[in-house]
Amino acid sequence: MNRAPGGWADEHAIVVDLGFGDAGKGVTVDLLCARRRYGAVVRANGGAQAAHNVVAPDGRHHTFAQFGAGTLAPDGPVPTYLSRFAVVDPFALAAEARHLSALGVPDPFALVTVDRRALISTPWHQAANRARELARGADRHGSCGMGVGETMAYALAHPEDAPTAGDCAHPARLRRKLRRLAEHLAEAAGARDASAWQENPGQAGAEEEGSRKQGAEEAPNLEECVAAYAAFAQRVRLVDEDHLAHLLAAAPVVFEGAQGVLLDEWHGFHPYTTWSTTTTANPLALLAESGRPGQARRIGVVRTYTTRHGAGPLVTEDPVLGAVLPERHNGNHPWQGPFRVGHLDLVAHRYALAATGGVDSLVVTHADAPGRVRAATGTGPLWCTAYTGAAGTPLAIAPRAVPDLARQERVTAALMAARPVLEAMPGEPVAAIGDALGLPVEAVFSGPMREDARVPSQV
Amino acid sequence: MGSSNWSTDAYHARQAYNASVGSSGFGYTDNVASSLPRDQWKVHPSLDPHGVTVRESRDSDAHPNSLAISVLFDVTGSMGRVPRGLQAKLPDLFGLLLRKGYVADPQILFGGIGDATCDRAPLQVGQFESGNELEDDLDRILLEGGGGGQATESYELAMYFMARHTAMDCLDKRGRRGYLFIIGDEMAYGAVKAREVRDVIGDDIGENIPFPVILAELRRRFEVFFVMPTGSHYFHDDRVRGFWDTHMGQNVIYLDDLDAVCETIAVTVGLGEEAIDLQEGLEDLAEAGSDAGDAVGKALAPIAASRGSVVVAPALDRLAADGGGADGTGTGGGVNRL
Repeated sequence: MNRAPGGWADEHAIVVDLGFGDAGKGVTVDLLCARRRYGAVVRANGGAQAAHNVVAPDGRHHTFAQFGAGTLAPDGPVPTYLSRFAVVDPFALAAEARHLSALGVPDPFALVTVDRRALISTPWHQAANRARELARGADRHGSCGMGVGETMAYALAHPEDAPTAGDCAHPARLRRKLRRLAEHLAEAAGARDASAWQENPGQAGAEEEGSRKQGAEEAPNLEECVAAYAAFAQRVRLVDEDHLAHLLAAAPVVFEGAQGVLLDEWHGFHPYTTWSTTTTANPLALLAESGRPGQARRIGVVRTYTTRHGAGPLVTEDPVLGAVLPERHNGNHPWQGPFRVGHLDLVAHRYALAATGGVDSLVVTHADAPGRVRAATGTGPLWCTAYTGAAGTPLAIAPRAVPDLARQERVTAALMAARPVLEAMPGEPVAAIGDALGLPVEAVFSGPMREDARVPSQV
Repeated sequence: MGSSNWSTDAYHARQAYNASVGSSGFGYTDNVASSLPRDQWKVHPSLDPHGVTVRESRDSDAHPNSLAISVLFDVTGSMGRVPRGLQAKLPDLFGLLLRKGYVADPQILFGGIGDATCDRAPLQVGQFESGNELEDDLDRILLEGGGGGQATESYELAMYFMARHTAMDCLDKRGRRGYLFIIGDEMAYGAVKAREVRDVIGDDIGENIPFPVILAELRRRFEVFFVMPTGSHYFHDDRVRGFWDTHMGQNVIYLDDLDAVCETIAVTVGLGEEAIDLQEGLEDLAEAGSDAGDAVGKALAPIAASRGSVVVAPALDRLAADGGGADGTGTGGGVNRL
């Protein structure tokens, strides 16, 4: 996106979503890799629950989860590096590789390098994650049901026992860790079930039936998993901590963020967050570790409206808008729940900018939406410039530098009761959004493909 | 929330990683074929029927309602594609049976059939498995690729083993027969030979057992199907077609597309379990992304048209006190025609 098309990019790029996810990180990375050459796409947070949709101009569609979204770049796939901050799911990686093969990407596994320290998420994490969400009943957190949060939680509580990508090459060690993991999660689940039955004695029978059946279905076979993970370790290149420094020295890379800043584990609206640092903090940490502190252009992505998948505050939510702006690749997710749509929430996006410490430029996606809203409703698009609290008084929110989940929970409660102050978007929406957030607009998408992108300010 | 598919994921993942480094998926065959002269090839120990008391399909806490499904295929020459196709489609077979609710707890056994008169591996029989261990059984099957050219294979020897050396809770506890699919394109020999039984399986049966007798015995334990590829060299051989038509009647399945074997088995079991009618089965296939619907629909149309309630073991009819006319002899042609 910098200077003329073609040739190597002149700096590293960090792509971060300034909302709740789904803004268009995938298409942004795809566009970057189509316009300029990058040596790798680096994942620095999240796991296979990421779902970055890219539609190539020839119609090929892939939902990127473990592979970087530069894989369908027109001059050949950009390799993927899963850093120590990424959570690796070898099953998901294999499934994705199959699909990429089917799309004509030769030998997808050869494109992937994985830091040995990266955690792996397993069927045990997944089962525990789902059981936990089920136990929450109506109070679900909107998890994707992939077990990424469980993976992080277990690693924090049992740092020595958490299985890593490197362990996959050591079956005995991996087996020992997986066995401990299974035992630990089974114990935790047992305690949870017991308390749930005490709270709802009337439902005990039904729950027992359900959980027994589920348990029977889901109990993963240790040896099968060990065998599959060994195959993963043989085929995908596992690398040590000095690898990233070599990558960064060799060529500019793109850090592809997962989820959005408003879901950040510390700055998001607790408890409706992801167990992952979704700001630019992880990429910046990796750059600093490699002796290149701050050497990257930070690119924030927003839609012309604000969306959220699953539970949690979405102050500007408007079902009318949802009906006008149906989603092609985001539907009703069995674990996350419905895809929710609201007016552009400047308050929330400014909060995100502050939480991530600012970005250098903006990519705006869904630039066609304001026109569709006007056509369907007869009035122009709205945006939210302020909140009012429960008592009708103004409500301001700002992130804290020091993590404080109790405080974030209070913010969440306030946002659940807040009402948006809506105004008409002035002038040309995309330019207005750039002005309102105080950022140069680097690219504008009016459709799902890189061909739909306009690059107005060749900054 | 039955969205768990870790098992299929594990299978697919392993296969994808392995396939990408050029492993064929039949490691044992590749290994044996590359390291030993043909006359020293032998069955993998885990599949060797010699001295095996029974292959068991049993209920467990995880699988309380087991149903035995066995698939034995001719591993000689022309049929080499079948096991490779089975391996590729294995996860889909489980998926179809389980997710569509045809069978609660399928337990599947694979085996290979050769020619006891000339082959190193005339009979190979795995275990009834509920999971990805099947992959290992398939991996170990020796694809001998021989065969004698006399239009006969030792199917009757395999039938003898399945009749006398299996134990199944579906039958013992619930009076429901298992399923046995034999995939091949030649005739069986006219009798189970005592000498071959002794050499290959280790039983001393004294005298030969005529083919119709062992088939009748087998059918008390299994609903038996013979799947025959229409493209086979012997398909137009009246002796071969006549042989199976005579003995198996409508339980001969003529299949145009051998790559559709897994789907054919799944839908046949679905029909047998009365979980679906043929149309529903074909819709399930389409929904699962299979393009085998046409071949399966054509192959199973005769069975679908002729079926009533059939999966009741004739030997156990008398246990059903109310009778009601469950007609064991009408379950698909067979020995009563002789």
